[in-house]
Amino acid sequence: MEGKLDWLGAGLPTEGTNSERPRAGDVARKDVPTCFLNERLGDVRGWVRAGGWNACVAVNEERVVLGLLRAKELDADPDLRIEEAMRPGPSTFRPFVAIEEMAQLMIDHDVESSPITTSDGRLVGLLTVQDAARVALELREAGDSSGQKEEQT
Amino acid sequence: MTEETSGWQACSRCGAKTDVCAFCEGPDCLFTICYECLNLALRQALAQPHAHGG
Repeated sequence: MEGKLDWLGAGLPTEGTNSERPRAGDVARKDVPTCFLNERLGDVRGWVRAGGWNACVAVNEERVVLGLLRAKELDADPDLRIEEAMRPGPSTFRPFVAIEEMAQLMIDHDVESSPITTSDGRLVGLLTVQDAARVALELREAGDSSGQKEEQT
Repeated sequence: MTEETSGWQACSRCGAKTDVCAFCEGPDCLFTICYECLNLALRQALAQPHAHGG
């Protein structure tokens, strides 16, 4: 372990006042479908959509993220190999990132989903903008109501 | 007089030149952010106070 950021980046437990707030790694969906570079897009699209997903993460045997297929990429020519269809080297984010900041950035930038990875690139899960926004809103409402309670006392 | 910006965008936070937005990878993003500002905003990196490391 190199240092604090690597500890946090690996999703290991933390202490302190902020440690109980939900973070990107907590909210990311761990059951996101994954595929390998040499698979056929049409085959992958079939089982991804059958599972109710609109995204798939391309990984290697060690679950290191190599690419991302969102709705647009999944709709490409079914005879392409994943390697040809995916967005290579997508921006990835660490599990410790605060969910409020991720939600705001995803909304501002109109990003539907972002891969969450450890600092060595291994997939933790996929964070969707809907999940990020919902949890951020819940946090804000909880903060507002606790602030109101404090004012009343 | 406007500055020539074809082929790059200015980071909306620090003004640095960047090819694409580090968050959405879009070439014409309204909220373009460079990798350094993004990592600082998300606390994925720590600000370096001294370039010389001393």
